[in-house]
Amino acid sequence: MTRKDERGHRWTDLGVERAVIRIVRRLSPGFGRRTITRKTRLHTDLGWDDWYVLRVVKPIRRTLHESLEDRVVLALKTVGDLVNYVWNKMEDA
Amino acid sequence: MSRRWLAITALLAARVAGAQEPAPAAPAAAASAAENAPGWEVLVGHSYSSARALTQPATFTLEQERGQPLYTVVDAAALLRGSLAPRAWLEMGIRARGGSARPPGERAYGAMARMYGELDPILLAAGYEYLGDGHFDVTQPAATFELTPLGGAPGLGTWVSPALHLRWRPWLGVSWGKGVRPYARLSGECASGRVEAGVETTGWLVHGSGLGFIQGDLSVRLVGGLFATASAEAGRAPPRYEPSGRFGVGLGFRLGPS
Repeated sequence: MTRKDERGHRWTDLGVERAVIRIVRRLSPGFGRRTITRKTRLHTDLGWDDWYVLRVVKPIRRTLHESLEDRVVLALKTVGDLVNYVWNKMEDA
Repeated sequence: MSRRWLAITALLAARVAGAQEPAPAAPAAAASAAENAPGWEVLVGHSYSSARALTQPATFTLEQERGQPLYTVVDAAALLRGSLAPRAWLEMGIRARGGSARPPGERAYGAMARMYGELDPILLAAGYEYLGDGHFDVTQPAATFELTPLGGAPGLGTWVSPALHLRWRPWLGVSWGKGVRPYARLSGECASGRVEAGVETTGWLVHGSGLGFIQGDLSVRLVGGLFATASAEAGRAPPRYEPSGRFGVGLGFRLGPS
């Protein structure tokens, strides 16, 4: 199954997941490659405070070409929530 | 007095907003829940970054202050947070601190409304704060403008590593009230298992002289949102800016994100 981002690029669900995890990993340099999965909790496990979680907005806009809403991002609990949010922002291809 | 405050705290504990976060197990439902959510929630015992706020729970404590007998204190705060626009949101909060044997002049009340805007790599906040003592004869209404970097340094806004749960955040700001008062604030937090600790220090420049205030807390989660807490503060706290110091131990309660 594929979907299109705001620029019309096609993405698979696995591709979105990998891209989001890569972004989260880049924002948490003290954490190893295998420590970040869909189940990783942004606030509890990674320690992202209310403001730091907003750092995902810009790289996701650059990489996945999706504009996220701050109020939704602030409420996300896990990396999987973020993957789902980005995937559902995309349109069916 | 204590029963009254506890009743207020319990009343504030009612969360008025619906579930805001998407459900990870159902992607389609996740987007729907996230985007259709009312976007307003109430937090109790959560920091709202005012001069007297920290991430400690709302507390009921026994305290010892310099030259004063032991007394009980209830320190409670509630925060309403919601969306203004896709890239901005609003927080409104109230905070009260009083106790059984605490003279009215030593009590403190506060209220604030603040709007945030994220302009990666920085966050901007503009707001209005009100602080008053128990008699409301010393008050400090002030408009504030603050900024903080979202991240960019080890531990800034995020744990340093999986093994070291330590983070910090700096703020630079200026308030306009009774004069212009620029300030810097630095907060640090660490957590290990059920134990959380935080410290927040603020430095002001008032009429050309430096004034500082530091507060810290140590909390142990007992069950759910209930904590055993110890807290201390020293320096010149608003609204009086008189030298003071205190230490307290007691129980705390927090509702909302940690």
